[in-house]
Amino acid sequence: MKAQKIFSWLMISVLMIGLLSGCGVSQSSNARGKDHKIVIGAAMPVFDDKWLTYLYDAINDYDAKHGNVEVQMVDAKNDSVKQLTQVETLVVKGVDAIIITPVDTSAVEPMVDAAKKANIPVIVVNRMPTQDVLDKVDAYVGSESIQSGTMQMEKVAKLLGGKGNVAIMTGELGSESQVKRTEGNKDVIKKHPDMKVVREGTAKYQRAEAIQLMENWIQSGDKIDAVVANNDEMAIGAINALKSAGKLDDTLVAGIDGTTDALKYVQSGDLDVSVFQDPVKQGQGAIETAVKLAKGQKLDNKMVWVPYELITKENVEKYVKKWKEYNNN
Amino acid sequence: MESQETIAKKPTILSDRYQTGWKEKVSEIFSRYGIFIIFLGMVTLMSFLTPYFFNVLNLINVVRQVSFIGIVAMGVTFVIITKGIDLSSGSVIALISVVAADFAHPGEHSLFVPLAIGVGVGALTGLINGTITAKGMIPPFIATLGMMTAARGLALLYSDGRPIGNLSDSFLFIGAGEILGIPFPIIVFLVVGIISHLLLSNTKFGKYTYAIGGNEQAARICGINVDRHLILVYTYAGLLTAIAGLMLTARISVGQPSMGVMYELDAIAAAVIGGTSLTGGIGTIPGTMIGALIIGVLNNGLDLLNVSSYWQQILKGAIIVTAVLIDSRKNKKS
Repeated sequence: MKAQKIFSWLMISVLMIGLLSGCGVSQSSNARGKDHKIVIGAAMPVFDDKWLTYLYDAINDYDAKHGNVEVQMVDAKNDSVKQLTQVETLVVKGVDAIIITPVDTSAVEPMVDAAKKANIPVIVVNRMPTQDVLDKVDAYVGSESIQSGTMQMEKVAKLLGGKGNVAIMTGELGSESQVKRTEGNKDVIKKHPDMKVVREGTAKYQRAEAIQLMENWIQSGDKIDAVVANNDEMAIGAINALKSAGKLDDTLVAGIDGTTDALKYVQSGDLDVSVFQDPVKQGQGAIETAVKLAKGQKLDNKMVWVPYELITKENVEKYVKKWKEYNNN
Repeated sequence: MESQETIAKKPTILSDRYQTGWKEKVSEIFSRYGIFIIFLGMVTLMSFLTPYFFNVLNLINVVRQVSFIGIVAMGVTFVIITKGIDLSSGSVIALISVVAADFAHPGEHSLFVPLAIGVGVGALTGLINGTITAKGMIPPFIATLGMMTAARGLALLYSDGRPIGNLSDSFLFIGAGEILGIPFPIIVFLVVGIISHLLLSNTKFGKYTYAIGGNEQAARICGINVDRHLILVYTYAGLLTAIAGLMLTARISVGQPSMGVMYELDAIAAAVIGGTSLTGGIGTIPGTMIGALIIGVLNNGLDLLNVSSYWQQILKGAIIVTAVLIDSRKNKKS
C-alpha cells in the first residue's frame, strides 16, 4: 500500500515536470489572444445581496451580448482586505479596466492606487468615495448614499407634519449603507425641532430580527409615530410586528430599496415610503463607461449620475412594471 | 520542537529502518515534509495553469496577502498546541484597528503611540482569554467565543460603527511600505516567524507548551506552572494578532470595526493544514507558515483562473478537511 502511494506521488511529480516544460509555450499563446478581447475586471463587495445581484446581472449581460468583451467578476465577501487583494490580482492579470463597488468607500484608495500605478482605468460604482479619491478615479457611476436617507426622512417628515417621535432601525452596524442612510435620516431630523429620535437599534437588515426589535419597542410602551428603516426587509419586519400588536394604523413605516416584496406592501398601504435605486441602470452605466475607457475613448462627464427615486402609493405601479421588465431579462 | 513526536515515534522508526529499505525512508520523508511537497506541487500546478501566477509582482502579492493571516496563525499555533483554540482573533483585529487608527491621524501623535496602544490592546485581550481559560477553568472555545463577540461590540462602540480614516503616512508605511523592494508586512512575517519558531523549538517556553498539550495533568505533576504558562501563551497570541491588525489597518488605510470577520477560522485552518493537531501537543511554526502560504496560493490561483467564488469556497473546505484527514492518519500510525 505504501509502495503504491509512493508510486502515485512519483507519477504526479513526473506529470508536473512534464507540464512545467510545456508551460513556456502555453504562456505566450494565453497571455493575449489573437483577436484582442477587452477584459473588464469587476471587484464586487458581496454576491449574497439581492439588490446588487441585478447590478451584477446587468454587467454580465453586457459580456453575454458582446463577443469582444469579457467580464471577470470577483466577490470580496464584504471584506475590504480581500477586495484589495482581488484588485491586485486583476492588475496582475492586466485587465483593460476595473469596475469597483467598494465594500467600504473609506478603504478604496489603496485599490485605486494599485490600478492607477499600472495605468488601468478605474470606475467606481454605486458607493461614492470622498472627493480626493474621486479625483483619482476615471469615473463614478451611481448616486450619493446619504441622499436615500435624506429623501426617505424628508417624505416621512412631510407626512408627519414636521413633528413626532421617530424610531430608526439600522442595518448591519458599520456597513457603508447603514452609516450613510442613518446619517441622512438624522440630518433631516435636525432641521425639524419638533421631531426626535426616541429609539435607534439594529436589525442587521434582516426581517426576522426586525420583528423582534419592533416587538421589544412596542413592549417598552414608548410612543412611536414613525419607524424609519435602513432597508425594506426591516420595514416589512416592523410592519408584521406592528400589525400583530394592532398599532400599524397609528404608525408610519418607511424603507429603502424598493424591492418587489416591498412594493406589494406599498400597494396595500402598509409601507408608506420607500426609496428606489436603479441597479440595472447603474450596472449598465458602469460597464458601458468601462468599455469606453478601455478603448481609450474620452468621457463627456466623469460623474455618471443615477439618482434615487421616491416610491409612495401614488407612483408604485411604475416600479412594479420596472421590476417585471428586469426579471424577464 | 519534536520532543513530543520523537518520544512517541522513535522506537518504531528505528526498528523500521533496520527491517525495511528505502520505501520506508521515502515514506518517512513524506510524512515529515509532506506539507512542503504539497506546497511545491501547488506552486508548480498553478504556474502551469495560469501564465500570470509565476511572476515577481504576483508572487510578492501572494506572500504579502498571506503575511497577515500567517502572523495570526503562528500565535494560534501556540494556543492549539496547548490543546486550546482562539476564536477571538478576527474580532480583536477589528478592535485594534479602530483604536490604533484613532491615534494615528497625521500630526497628532508619534508613530509609537498607535503601535503601542494596538499591541497593548491585543496583549490585554490575550491575557483575558488566557486568564479565563486557565483560572476560570472555562473551555477555551467558550472563553474566546465570548471575547470574539465582546471585542466586535467594543470595536463598534469605540468607532460608533464607522470607519476611522485619515491616517498618517508613517503609520501607513507598516502596511503599504517597502524596504529594498520588499513589502514591509513580508519582512515582519519572516521576523515573527523566526522568533516564534525559536521560541517554540529552542526554549523552555516551547517545551512547556508541548508538554501541556501532550498531557496537562502530567505537566502539572512535573512542576510546570500550567496556569501561568497558558496565560502567557494566549497573551502571545493576542500580541501577534495585534501586529497583524495594525499592519492590516495600514494596508487598507482605514480602521474598520467590520474588519477581520472569519479571520480566526483562516488562521486556524492555516495552522491545521500546516500539521498542527487540534488534539494538542503537535505542531510547528514552519508548518503553519507553509499552511498559510497554501491558503494564499490557493486563493490567488483560483482568482487568477477566474474560478467562481462559490467553487472557491467548496474547494477550500475540501482541502482543509483533507489536510486534517491526512494528519489524523499520520497520528494513528504513530
